[in-house]
Amino acid sequence: MSATTSIVTGGNPKVRRSTKRVEPIYYFFLFPAVILFTLAITLPGVVGIFFSFTDSIGIGDWEFIGFTNYIAAFSDPAILTSFLFTFGFSLVTVIAVNVIAFLLAVGLTAKIRFKMGLRGIFVIPMVISGIIIAYVFQFLFMNSVPAAGSALGIPFLETSILSNPDLAWLGIVIVTAWQSIPGTLLIYIAGLLAVPGDVYEAASLDGANKRQQLLRITLPLVMGYVVINVILGFKNYLNAYDIIVGLTNGGPGTSTRSISMTIIRGFQTGDYAYQMATATLFFIITIIIALVQLSATRGRNAL
Amino acid sequence: MSNPLKRAIRATAGVAGVALLASILVGCSSDGRETIHFTFSKREAFTFMNQAVADYNASQQQYEVVMDTSGPDPLAASFVRGNPPDLMLSNYNHEVSRFVERCALSDLSDTTAAASIRDDLQPLLDQYGVCEGRTSALPYSVMAASVIYNKTIFAEYGLEVPTTWSELIAVSDTLKAAGVAPFYATFADAWTANQGWFDYSVGGAVDIPDFYDRLAEEGTEVGPDAPVSFEKDFLEPVEKMQLLAKEYTQADAPSRTYDAGNVAFAEGEGAMYLQGPWAFSQIALTAPDLDLGTFPLPMTEDPKDLKVRVNLDLVTIIPEEAKNPEGARDFLEYLFQPEVIQAYNESQLGFVPTDDGKAPDDPRVAGMIPYYDAGAFYQGPGVLNPRAIPTENYAQSLVLGTNAASMLRTMDADWARLAFRQPPVTSKEGSE
Repeated sequence: MSATTSIVTGGNPKVRRSTKRVEPIYYFFLFPAVILFTLAITLPGVVGIFFSFTDSIGIGDWEFIGFTNYIAAFSDPAILTSFLFTFGFSLVTVIAVNVIAFLLAVGLTAKIRFKMGLRGIFVIPMVISGIIIAYVFQFLFMNSVPAAGSALGIPFLETSILSNPDLAWLGIVIVTAWQSIPGTLLIYIAGLLAVPGDVYEAASLDGANKRQQLLRITLPLVMGYVVINVILGFKNYLNAYDIIVGLTNGGPGTSTRSISMTIIRGFQTGDYAYQMATATLFFIITIIIALVQLSATRGRNAL
Repeated sequence: MSNPLKRAIRATAGVAGVALLASILVGCSSDGRETIHFTFSKREAFTFMNQAVADYNASQQQYEVVMDTSGPDPLAASFVRGNPPDLMLSNYNHEVSRFVERCALSDLSDTTAAASIRDDLQPLLDQYGVCEGRTSALPYSVMAASVIYNKTIFAEYGLEVPTTWSELIAVSDTLKAAGVAPFYATFADAWTANQGWFDYSVGGAVDIPDFYDRLAEEGTEVGPDAPVSFEKDFLEPVEKMQLLAKEYTQADAPSRTYDAGNVAFAEGEGAMYLQGPWAFSQIALTAPDLDLGTFPLPMTEDPKDLKVRVNLDLVTIIPEEAKNPEGARDFLEYLFQPEVIQAYNESQLGFVPTDDGKAPDDPRVAGMIPYYDAGAFYQGPGVLNPRAIPTENYAQSLVLGTNAASMLRTMDADWARLAFRQPPVTSKEGSE
């Protein structure tokens, strides 16, 4: 970091931006963040990876046991299914959230009445804590929906979907989407407002209808925002925790246990080192995904 | 700088200074007493324990007990930081027993309280693992649990308490034919499927301590070919449990939670309820005068096999790294005074673990007293399984009707995999 920047100013005496050294003020800005990041993220991360090669339970003595935890993790159906569940859930949610939020954003940037009021209403879920949303929806799914189902005589709704091992994930997708659509929506609205109006004028002069305008002009022009939303959303859903805890607590059975929940259980169950191994695997996999996403989106001027 | 701004800064600095000073002073109380950090997280008993702490603080001048009720998760973190509480009164389970196994808890064998504990309770503690030569925890309250039944409904249909499996089925058939749900079940909360359904069923049929000792000996070999396994030994009782869960529960059992279940059972929507005595106070909120009783769930044809499920609801523990072990011991002895421990257990319908302790004087738990006194009790597999095995979730899958053999085979595989990384615990000393 000792490189110095010097801006060649040519012969213009009026421009006096040349500096031999970096202003110390930049280090002043930089160091607290670097130190905090190292202490709060990097160091614990390294310590965690270190302990994944031991039999530590979080306290007391421990010994190195090599790759034993990793060997056990690879043959553990609980861990493998939690990985599968988390990736499947993230994929479905990220698609659902982006499609719905994009269409809502198109609607909310059109010339309609009560535009600002509607935007305000749609953004409310974003400011409510996830665990509260989850408990409210748990009550709805467990009591209100089955009650409505039996009142209307729809047998499908009479037992809660959260009690059905094959459908419980759908409940989690619905609630997660409900919570995260507003954030995505806001980014799309910003993106849509940034599209200049004259391209639409030109398109309509050329005879493009509304659907063609949406697919051929709007979508390509906000593609950068789509990429941002997909990456941010996917990252959030991979870390899914609070909504699942409130809705199903990983159940019924183990059908909705996310990776984060599996890892956290290691702290509660004296399985610290083993779940550190899971966390390390998760870390490696997410890095690979991040690299794939970055290389796939490079050249789109998105990032 | 303008004057109002200066004043604002000065005021802020002042407030910050006072806050800082206050936080330093928290360490010692104003009258120079030593602080005893005491953790207790049993919600139902906060009122009682607050009073006990206040009485103790008033009874002497040397120590001041500060009670922390933040629960088990911050507790584990406090051990990791090397800053555990001075005295813990906590549920005894695998979360606590790992501190025992790593010898992170101090020896209490020389306390007066230790001499008064019933001998037949020690095996219950040892089932979770031991620290050689130490008494790491002293039982404070033993909770016995079995089937809760609505005496009014039983009387209405002229039913007797069943003592064999076929009598249980006969009782259930009568109730079902009359349109009453024989069992009220709350399968949406996984722990209720584990605590009541899984534990009562398996505990009523299998010799639990012997099973776990043999399982620990098998270690990584546990599986389809082993002489002992969950699949071999648990299959029969688990299939009986699935029969009860499928045929004899109310229609919406999968989507009922514990809280909803307490209300519904209080309103007479079921005749039997597989819960512990902690549910009584919750049921009483809806129906204070409901006539309830308890009996062990019969799983065999021999009434001699009847046993009640117990758990060490509270044990006292003083960590090795406690800052004030003398104070902690003083308060511990106070808590074990006959009138305090008796009053505590009376208030929570628990059983006193001391030799001269009296059983709770409440008709609702009377059905369990003969079994507890005779030592006919077991700790459930739901708590004895290492927590790395998600037993609660498995029990929930089982009551919801998943294939029992394959679920138990998963449990076997989990056990073997855990044994591969961590040697299992037996109740026999010296066998590691």
